[in-house]
Amino acid sequence: MTPTLQTRPDVFDTVIVGAGVMGATTALFLARGGQKVALVDRQDMFRAASGVNAGTLTLHMTRAQLIPHAIRGREMWLDSASWLGEDVGALATPGLSMAFTEAEEELLRQRARVRQDMGAPIKVVSPEEAVRIEPGVNPTLRAAAYCALDGHIPTYRVGGAYARALRQAGVTIIENSPVETITPATGGGYDVRVSNRTQPVHGRRIVLSTGAWLEKMLGWLGYTIPIRCLINQLVVTETLPPVMGSVLSIANGLLSLKQFANGSVLIGGGWQGEGNINQGGTRVIPENLRGNVRLAQYVVPRLDEAQVLRVWLGLESETPDAMPLIGALTPDDDAFVVGCVHSGFTSGPYMGRLLAERILGGNPDLSAFDPTRFSTPAATGPQS
Amino acid sequence: MSSPDFSPVTVIGGGIAGATSAIALARHGFPVTLIDEQPAAGGQIFRAPSPYARQTVPPNHEFSGGDALRQKLAASPVDVRFSTRVWGLSPTLTLDLIGPDGIDQLPPSTVVVANGATERFLPFQGWTTPRITGLAGASILMRNGGTLPGQTVVVAGSGPLLFSVAHQVLELGGKVAAIVDAGHRSDWLRLGAMLSLDPARLTQATSWMLRLQQAGIPIHHRANISAAQETETGLLLTVSEMDHPERRHVYAAEAAACGYGLKPSTLITRTAGVQHRHDHVGGYLEPVTDVAGRTSRSDLYVTGDAAGIRGMAVARLRGLITAHAIAQDRRVISARTYETLTRAPLRRLRRLEAVSRRMLPLMNAGSVIPAHLQDETIVCRCERVKAATLRSAIEAGAEDLNQLKAWTRCGMGPCQGRMCEDSARGLLTAACGNTPEEAGSFTDRMPFFPLPLTAVTGTFAYSDIPLPKAAPL
Ligand SMILES: Cc1cc2nc3c(=O)[nH]c(=O)nc-3n(C[C@H](O)[C@H](O)[C@H](O)COP(=O)(O)OP(=O)(O)OC[C@H]3O[C@@H](n4cnc5c(N)ncnc54)[C@H](O)[C@@H]3O)c2cc1C
Repeated sequence: MTPTLQTRPDVFDTVIVGAGVMGATTALFLARGGQKVALVDRQDMFRAASGVNAGTLTLHMTRAQLIPHAIRGREMWLDSASWLGEDVGALATPGLSMAFTEAEEELLRQRARVRQDMGAPIKVVSPEEAVRIEPGVNPTLRAAAYCALDGHIPTYRVGGAYARALRQAGVTIIENSPVETITPATGGGYDVRVSNRTQPVHGRRIVLSTGAWLEKMLGWLGYTIPIRCLINQLVVTETLPPVMGSVLSIANGLLSLKQFANGSVLIGGGWQGEGNINQGGTRVIPENLRGNVRLAQYVVPRLDEAQVLRVWLGLESETPDAMPLIGALTPDDDAFVVGCVHSGFTSGPYMGRLLAERILGGNPDLSAFDPTRFSTPAATGPQS
Repeated sequence: MSSPDFSPVTVIGGGIAGATSAIALARHGFPVTLIDEQPAAGGQIFRAPSPYARQTVPPNHEFSGGDALRQKLAASPVDVRFSTRVWGLSPTLTLDLIGPDGIDQLPPSTVVVANGATERFLPFQGWTTPRITGLAGASILMRNGGTLPGQTVVVAGSGPLLFSVAHQVLELGGKVAAIVDAGHRSDWLRLGAMLSLDPARLTQATSWMLRLQQAGIPIHHRANISAAQETETGLLLTVSEMDHPERRHVYAAEAAACGYGLKPSTLITRTAGVQHRHDHVGGYLEPVTDVAGRTSRSDLYVTGDAAGIRGMAVARLRGLITAHAIAQDRRVISARTYETLTRAPLRRLRRLEAVSRRMLPLMNAGSVIPAHLQDETIVCRCERVKAATLRSAIEAGAEDLNQLKAWTRCGMGPCQGRMCEDSARGLLTAACGNTPEEAGSFTDRMPFFPLPLTAVTGTFAYSDIPLPKAAPL
């Protein structure tokens, strides 16, 4: 490279902002498709939702309409060696969702039905059958929904695997670099301005994949989409002798429970903490900690022997219709978004691959996720 | 002067600094609550001995000093909560507690953090073998339990605790197979020259050294235990010289006690979000404080060793000065009264601090060890993470401690990284050239230590669980 070129801004085919599972997968498949790709994150990669999630690969909790995508995503995780370059330890197990009250039983049957219609192999079983499948559960249950396709993945192993795969694919990773503005560049493409660099990163196109932080960034491109930020709580116990072998949940979706190979039990289900997405910082709400853990202990009574090791909170994003945003933001096909996917860790690899396919000229069906469904963009121009 | 503010003060930690501070605060008229995880006040140095230890351990200054402190505290109006631990706190300093009666919360108050020091540990091949303890742990076992860690002990690591522990082994009739010190002999000589400023320490050090010399114990300076192996009768310990790694010495012993100096316990101050800095001489993170323990938060003070390792005499002075500073900040006493009350303690503090700061490089003499850990050595015992795993994650781009933790689980276990943070940081900075500041610190999460699940849940019926609305279909 000549010295004059070095002082000019870096130019990429695609600049991806946000290095969680969505952005990183898109980056990986774009680079493998021959593009020169930059992946920018304001912190280290895989430290937001994609680094702190529960790693449940469940169809019981996934939104019914996303079942086909979740099934494909789950398959990708179980076969990560083939496309990510290493086995990240995903485990296939059955999944049981339980009902303890009449109202829950009704909900259970309804949720099972709509999921069956979307292709999930779920059947409702008797309490005796449920206890036979999973001897550790509270036998006072009224009914359970059984799904053969469930499982979990040790989330912590994923970030490092992606880092190695992305480097190998030639993606330029720019970490600890908060994106502050994105402006259309004269002559096409976008200038992505990063707080700790004097020169912007220039992309012929951009992909926004900043998870819970999408609302603000979409605003820069003229879109007003109110995105709700969920502050999900997770609780992990010290290692225990085996107390369960499947992924357990309850009918209303407010519990996810599983035991990892090392013996620790992870308790989740979307109980909320407190926090402020702009200022950062989250805090556990004691009543919600107690509620979540009580539910877990109720479902698996032997958890009374456990020690609570850690509680943490992670941010998840949700659109007004709780459906994803995936697709083009501009008629020129030079700005895209991928995010707000419910149970997005499960389907993340598949969703990212779909968007990469779309950008590389393919035509996957993304109509249900069209990001322009909420608002027409306000006129944008170079911002001040 | 506007009216004084007598709202409550909570002191976390009932060691010398915390107890002294609590008593002085109560004298100023504040309602004071003192929380400590031990069943009685005294902290590390003045820890209350077991009845057995009172019979077996010769009377000493620690016992008598501790008893005096406990008596003073009992005679004060301080509300004491012993056998109680802080397991979490909110941004407004609501404290989550667990005590003999289960889980409890203390509403926001001004907090004085006096939770003292934590021993720094650096690993070696085979260190997770039973019968290898910390120096601090061994000291508690002997001084407060009256029990030897083994009949023959290798004492290793760095800092003054080395000689104190070796001396305690002899006192209880045990044998010290060797003393292995990471520091230079000349550093000790330089320190010795300064001890004239602190006659109490000088007398103690001289008597220890005489006794150790008479016992003919081999002392290796600039050396460390590089490997431990379990045998039928105990341990085989390999000692390597740091400047000549090929020079090795092997000792057989029943037990080994190993520790690399002290560092402030920063769990609470970090979670409370006060400003911290790396003390490069001490090799540790400490909260940024003024001489009276004020921090970047007006409702949080830090006193004693939690504000930086200075030892027992300084801890008492700091505790006192912090209490007076709070009284002044709350308009209970005037600036002039504060000056009068603190003139003598501050003068004494400055003199003692000069000696204490000299100790820091001796305690931190092992700082180069993590860079040279063998690949097979376990760094994080809780999650059994080896040095090789850390090195390959660093190579993949994990260049700060939290990314390293996220990718390898190092520091994720029950001890929250208290055992492995220093070695992981040392390994990381050596491997990728980042400074300790860039490497950062593990983010602390609640609970600070494992809680029995049933303490969280209590007794309940299904209908007591406040189920939120169902997740979207
Ligand atoms: C606690 C919790 C538990 C969950 N459990 C499960 C589960 O069991 N199963 C499941 O399938 N899903 C689960 N999810 C959902 C799943 O984790 C998410 O759907 C998924 O990880 C989202 O990926 P993402 O790439 O869209 O977002 P993220 O992973 O959040 O990535 C967004 C990235 O954008 C970066 N960023 C933000 N602002 C900027 C900026 N200005 N400049 C540059 N970069 C920026 C962030 O640093 C971050 O790295 C859970 C989520 C949470 C929070």
